[in-house]
Amino acid sequence: MTRQEKKFSGSALEGKHHINLTVNGQLYELAIGTGAGKVNPSDTLSFTLRETLGLTGTKVSCDSGACGGCTVIMDGRAVLSCMLLSIECDEKEITTIEGLKNPKTGELDPLQQSFIDHTAFQCGFCTPGMIMSSKALLNDNPSPTEEEVKEALSGNFCRCISHYQIVRAVMAVSGKGK
Amino acid sequence: MRSFTHFDAYSIEDTCTALGQYKGRAQLKAGGSDLLSILKGDFLPDYPEVIINIKTIPGLDYIKEDGDFLRIGALVRLIEMVRSPLLSHKYSVLVKAAHTVASPQIRNVATLGGNLCQDTRCWYYRYPRSMGGPLQCLRKGSGSCLAVKGDNRYHAIMGGKKCFAVCPSDMAVALACLDGRLIIAGPRGERNVAVADFFYPLGNDLAEDEMITEIEIPARRNPAQQNFLKFTLRKPIDFAIVSVASVISIEKGVCTDARIVLGAVAPFPVRVRAAEELLIGKPVSEEIVMSAADEALAGSKPLSKNAYKVQIAKTLVKRAVMGSTD
Ligand SMILES: Cc1cc2nc3c(=O)[nH]c(=O)nc-3n(C[C@H](O)[C@H](O)[C@H](O)COP(=O)(O)OP(=O)(O)OC[C@H]3O[C@@H](n4cnc5c(N)ncnc54)[C@H](O)[C@@H]3O)c2cc1C
Ligand code: SF4
Ligand code: FES
Ligand code: FES
Repeated sequence: MTRQEKKFSGSALEGKHHINLTVNGQLYELAIGTGAGKVNPSDTLSFTLRETLGLTGTKVSCDSGACGGCTVIMDGRAVLSCMLLSIECDEKEITTIEGLKNPKTGELDPLQQSFIDHTAFQCGFCTPGMIMSSKALLNDNPSPTEEEVKEALSGNFCRCISHYQIVRAVMAVSGKGK
Repeated sequence: MRSFTHFDAYSIEDTCTALGQYKGRAQLKAGGSDLLSILKGDFLPDYPEVIINIKTIPGLDYIKEDGDFLRIGALVRLIEMVRSPLLSHKYSVLVKAAHTVASPQIRNVATLGGNLCQDTRCWYYRYPRSMGGPLQCLRKGSGSCLAVKGDNRYHAIMGGKKCFAVCPSDMAVALACLDGRLIIAGPRGERNVAVADFFYPLGNDLAEDEMITEIEIPARRNPAQQNFLKFTLRKPIDFAIVSVASVISIEKGVCTDARIVLGAVAPFPVRVRAAEELLIGKPVSEEIVMSAADEALAGSKPLSKNAYKVQIAKTLVKRAVMGSTD
């Protein structure tokens, strides 16, 4: 990690030259700057994931923190990728919807399969965010109650009214281990 | 979002020095859950040249009791407040308030300092550039207040002057109820200000080169009955239409101490002392609590479209004091 030091007569703040992001187990070293493949200081994490790394599974809907569509897991917690600056995600570990399947067999995570089995979506735009919020909950608490599932999903909105199926899909894997 | 230069800060001193040198062209960033909305909306007259990330300053994320005070670092995230056993035990009004803020994902990154310093939510003020804005108004330094003659359903019912936007921070209401003070650092050293005095109709008490480092609360010996109730249209995500924080001590059915603070009714949290005095020394009955609720709202002067907030506030005061959970 290289840091450029800026001196303002007595005050020292540091600007970054590049960041290391681990996404779904893969390390990306990205230069800070403008131009293809680089991270601009004002790039959001959702922009970097989708436009720079090509991981378009993460969806951006409101782009203002109000819908949960862009949820990813960062260092174990569900966060909104549209409300984070990539430049501040240096050394972070991020899991997106693309990272849930078994990397060797390609088999879906039981939670993903449960969404399919319960038809827990219509248009599907909220689904990656719903799954990532649920996954963060299940990692923390493998046997959540229905109340806990609703609480964990309270920042995720579905325009198609699939909430009931979504809660059922998550409850179906609650207590089932990994 | 338009571009800016980005720095990480490693000390309070360096942060304040840099703020001074940039003379208003630099902006602090903690969790970013308010700041990024402002930058994306691009509705303010000045766009910052520099963003200073303060999350990299070490040692500002504690929650601890230290003799006569409870001390909370400005960088404590709301999720840590929700999960704190110390707060749940003796300062549960803070836990209840933190739990109503935004959504789980936002509470995972949002800080207490950022919650207190977030900008107003007035919809005229925030009308985005991409939708034909920005709109000028008194708070932005030109024109008049658009809410007075416009749609003011979410605006102040008391205490407004020039600007009628309400203080959007839920944490400010709970902290004011516990007599919290903000510790503010600047190039001239440290000072402190009561939470309730930090907010003005046109902004807050921070100078260009200052930052909040800590929130200090007189330590409580007994938890008493603490409550935070918030009326919103949707339970998660939404800002308060009205909120009420209360700390009520009851001994043998008689109220021995009462603190009641109203939120989202004014540009600052409103401690309603006259209502508190009505309760103290009396048995807690529905009738007395109702008259305290009337007293709490006695000074309200609703605008054209927000008289409904008066009745909601009265009901919340009554429910909070009676110990209802919603
Ligand atoms: C969808 C949505 C819903 C929300 N709902 C609520 C709600 O219900 N209740 C509520 O209270 N809030 C709500 N918020 C507002 C706000 O995002 C959060 O309250 C949050 O706590 C802000 O903290 P932050 O650390 O992310 O602040 P930031 O965005 O990092 O900072 C906000 C402002 O504070 C300044 N600042 C930050 N830290 C300091 C410091 N230590 N000293 C001086 N200045 C500082 C920054 O310069 C900036 O101007 C909501 C936001 C969103 C997007
Ligand atoms: S309430 Fe305040 S922010 Fe809103 S239009 Fe009036 S002056 Fe501007
Ligand atoms: S796209 Fe990030 S919260 Fe809506
Ligand atoms: S399935 Fe369409 S938004 Fe949820």
